[in-house]
Amino acid sequence: MTLEVVTGNHAAGYALSAAGEANRDARGICAGAYPITPQTEIIEYARKYKFTKGRIVPVESEHSAMGVCIGASMAGARSFTASAANGLSYMTENIFTAGYYRLPIVLVCVNRTMGPPWNIWADQGDALLMRDASLIQFFCETNQEVADTILLSFRLAEDHRILMPALVSMDAFIMSHTLMNTDLPEQEQVDQYLPNLDLPHVLTHEHPVCIGGLAWPQETLSMRVDTHEAFERIPEVYDECRAEFQKIFGRDVGGPFTTFETEDADTIFITSGSIATTTRELIKARRKAGEKIGMIKVKMYRPFPEEGLLDACKNAKKVGVLDRNYAGGLGGLFWHDFRAAAQGKRDDLLIQDYLIGVCGGDVTPDLIEEVFDDLSQRVEADKPVWKGIEL
Amino acid sequence: MIEIRIHGRGGQGGVTLAKLIGTTRYLLGESVQAFGVYAAERSGAPLQAFCRCDTQPIVNRNMIYEPDHIVVLDPTLIGPAITTGLKPGGWILINIDQPPEVFVEKYPGYRIATIDATAIARKYKLGTVSVPIVNTALLGAVAKILDFTLDQVNGALEHIGFVGANIDAAEEAYQLVKTAQPTTEADFVHPEVPHPRIPGLVEGNTGILPRIKTGDWATQQPHRENKVAPCNHICPAGNNVQGFLERLAKEDVDGALEILLDTTPFPSICGRVCPAPCMEVCNRIQLDEGVNVRDMERYAGDHGNAKVTPASDRKEHLAVIGSGPAGLSAVYQLRKLGYQVTLFEGGKELGGLLRTGIPPYRLPRDVLDAEIQRILDLEVTFTTNHRVDKAGLVDLANGFDAVLVATGLQELRDLRLGIDDDQAIMQGIDFLDLANTKDIRVDDEDVVVVGGGNTAFDAARSSLRLGAKSVRVVYRRTIEEMPAIAEEIDQGIEEGLQIDYLTLPISATPAENGYSITCRKMELGEPDESGRRRPVEIEGSDFEIHADRVLLALGQSPEVSIFPEGTEVHEGDSLIGTLQTPVFAVGDLATNDGTVTAAIGSGRRAAFHIHHTFTGEQLLAPPHEESDVVGADLMSMHLFEKNGRHDGYTIPAEERRFTYDEVHQGLPDLDEARRCLSCGVCNECDKCVTYCPEGVLKRVGHEFHFDYSYCKGCGVCVAECPRNVIYMSQI
Repeated sequence: MTLEVVTGNHAAGYALSAAGEANRDARGICAGAYPITPQTEIIEYARKYKFTKGRIVPVESEHSAMGVCIGASMAGARSFTASAANGLSYMTENIFTAGYYRLPIVLVCVNRTMGPPWNIWADQGDALLMRDASLIQFFCETNQEVADTILLSFRLAEDHRILMPALVSMDAFIMSHTLMNTDLPEQEQVDQYLPNLDLPHVLTHEHPVCIGGLAWPQETLSMRVDTHEAFERIPEVYDECRAEFQKIFGRDVGGPFTTFETEDADTIFITSGSIATTTRELIKARRKAGEKIGMIKVKMYRPFPEEGLLDACKNAKKVGVLDRNYAGGLGGLFWHDFRAAAQGKRDDLLIQDYLIGVCGGDVTPDLIEEVFDDLSQRVEADKPVWKGIEL
Repeated sequence: MIEIRIHGRGGQGGVTLAKLIGTTRYLLGESVQAFGVYAAERSGAPLQAFCRCDTQPIVNRNMIYEPDHIVVLDPTLIGPAITTGLKPGGWILINIDQPPEVFVEKYPGYRIATIDATAIARKYKLGTVSVPIVNTALLGAVAKILDFTLDQVNGALEHIGFVGANIDAAEEAYQLVKTAQPTTEADFVHPEVPHPRIPGLVEGNTGILPRIKTGDWATQQPHRENKVAPCNHICPAGNNVQGFLERLAKEDVDGALEILLDTTPFPSICGRVCPAPCMEVCNRIQLDEGVNVRDMERYAGDHGNAKVTPASDRKEHLAVIGSGPAGLSAVYQLRKLGYQVTLFEGGKELGGLLRTGIPPYRLPRDVLDAEIQRILDLEVTFTTNHRVDKAGLVDLANGFDAVLVATGLQELRDLRLGIDDDQAIMQGIDFLDLANTKDIRVDDEDVVVVGGGNTAFDAARSSLRLGAKSVRVVYRRTIEEMPAIAEEIDQGIEEGLQIDYLTLPISATPAENGYSITCRKMELGEPDESGRRRPVEIEGSDFEIHADRVLLALGQSPEVSIFPEGTEVHEGDSLIGTLQTPVFAVGDLATNDGTVTAAIGSGRRAAFHIHHTFTGEQLLAPPHEESDVVGADLMSMHLFEKNGRHDGYTIPAEERRFTYDEVHQGLPDLDEARRCLSCGVCNECDKCVTYCPEGVLKRVGHEFHFDYSYCKGCGVCVAECPRNVIYMSQI
């Protein structure tokens, strides 16, 4: 391990490149890349990296970037790319394609507000636009978690029980462009953690097949069910990957979600990304003042860890969800998913949504304190509450 | 935990300063965060950057609203709002060339530190040519006030890969930062973070954003000013070399000739015989090869058409003595100014040394005659075979309003070597006078030419053409010191001249045929007053060479017997105080320079002096400031493509040594003119207009306009100008 002080983009570029290099004895690395603020530094890092085998292909659009990744992955190369906001949305068709082709491509999204207007700041709405793709989704809290989760994603995605692309997200600027202390793993460790990619449906000269041809409804349906069952296996395989990570890197990459002071809490806040840090710190103070509150940081958004979250909330009466995203006409998507999970199981639970830091607003401790106060006084749930704007 | 807020402008390196401070503390094992607030506007936009350092893990993820200290990168950002939220007793570090005491009253309750980081950045050339980057200097100042050591700072700079001048700048700022303590209590106000709702479409807000005058962000502004190209600076004739080349590059041959005819009547002549000091200082040499200015001047002279129209006639009538290049140049300029001129020439034809001294294979007579005719067409009265002596000068002074003496170098250095025969030993200049009209032959002779100037080589090469069996040039120094034009030396060697360097003829003794010349080898000693190393004889090194004829080209000196005793001859002032009439010396007589181009310049200056004497009007432009001359170091050479020089056709040596046909044929087209880099002078390449990221630079006709209300001072135009025409000034 090398302790360094790097930005989130640097950490991501490092981890992606190390993972790509680790496949050098197999079919190497190949990836398509297209720049967009605030992720450009990631692909710049990878493009400068001297891979033993393979390379980054600069292309003319995000759609093509994922196209290159699909072709490369299909041919057995380890593949990844990065994008954000409208770039990611332009990539959407091929992200769905990668998912249905069951290709273990790792995609990094630096969460940026969807435009217009032109806005480059943090908002998870871009990644959440992909929630219905066959795509594993993670949201990270620190630069360290970004590097670690990228490595874990390759291992998880490439497992023959899973075989699915993964998306690793971080907050724009708050992580992507902020220097923070980070342990960067050694290449030997990455080599050990990520064995050569062995894709069962690899396309080679020896085994030529036609891909993407017409399939009858029953055949296609079978593939969907396959995919769904792969999703269902993720928690179990995730735990194995996490344990192996601990063994090799001596560090916990964290579970699909992480609880803090939830055991006896009557009020629990669910959040993700960098907001979790501030929330956790404020909860410490409230606990000292005698309030029985706790929090859950959700790292894995797809598959959504419904049962675990409900279990962690078993003693709670109120749950506040802090959503740094907004789905048109609906509200926050973490709230939406959690509310659906509780439906019929915890109808007694007061579940309130807070839209906070949406469109890149700075989430200050004061703003979160306001959320705490609001929920503590609330007797029934209401429509999502906008924070950071005086209505 | 320490929290620092940095106020700067895009492009100054504020975010990197935050990262540098962070890295310094990270290397001490602390937990750090360093980040900036990024936005759409980049260069010049006011921005903030932040740094947190703590011995404990940092748990904040938001911006810094109540910093412990602030750093201000740009003095234009100083205002009351800058200290918002700054904790009492905190440092305010300002990049400004003022002492900290100036700010003590303005910011009560805070410690003040100031450092002129911009000056340090400029000194160490940090940033680009147009935008200094001040962050590493400020890191040194931060280190001083926050008690980091210089070693820690250097460690951070090295860690991030900033070495060399960055470390020097940080160290200098560390030493130079000045501090002042507060005299009163701080008036601390907690910052409010407002979250206003902006009216929407229903309220009639159609989304048009407020217009920002980005020019308000600027700390510096670009300006456009032509400077001086080295060729223009050095040209003894005062020609606008860059100007005529630019016209040629744009296929405007007549325009090029017009520019040349402003300063010289002899573009076709100089386009053949000029030693062309412009070509020696051409910045293009640093890129590939210098521009072939001489052949381009010839092209303009030979192919251009331009009419010279004199000003309306003035009443003053002037006499000019001598029709060499200096005299003719003076006549030309005086006629253009409307003065009546009578020209007196001692020889049988006009032209002086142009005719007698320069062989026709270098300067064909039709070319010479045509350019002299252009002057005569301005209605010049002249007489030939009219040598003016001392008494004659007084007569002219009495009969004319002014007299200009341009008699050149008449006094020849002599060396008899003990030979009495005037045919066997003669002055090279006299030989050339005969040779140029083909009134002499040297068939089957061994010719020895003594000297190393143009006369020596003209005489030597003429001898080859007039039948010599062999020609040796004997010169007492080395090729390095030879005053002759390099091309002449090279062409002479190609034609078969033998050159004995470091050789001095001592004496001659009659031999069976001709003479045996005793020569002595020399070596170079200390430099003499001319700066050239003085040749020193080597004892016992004598050797003999055979000569049928010896031609002397030992240099000439001014012949001043025409003037009253004790007259000091120099250029500029009137010479003879005892006469009412002003008398001016001009050309070689005054300057002893010995080139056509210098003579042209001298004649022109003399004409302007005379004009000034009569009218008080100063037509002579003041000499260029050395600092305005754009050297290669100021040119952006990387913006030009390499493209070798066009040299034109020269008749092969084996053919030309038997003929008086012109040796060099010049260039057939204008491609060479397009190689001119136009150093320091805008040639409307429009790179600045193209690359201005804000679109605030426009050209209308030949005029350029900067819209300073939107110019952010990013310096892209300065960086993109290949020729150093645009510069930045601080606002």
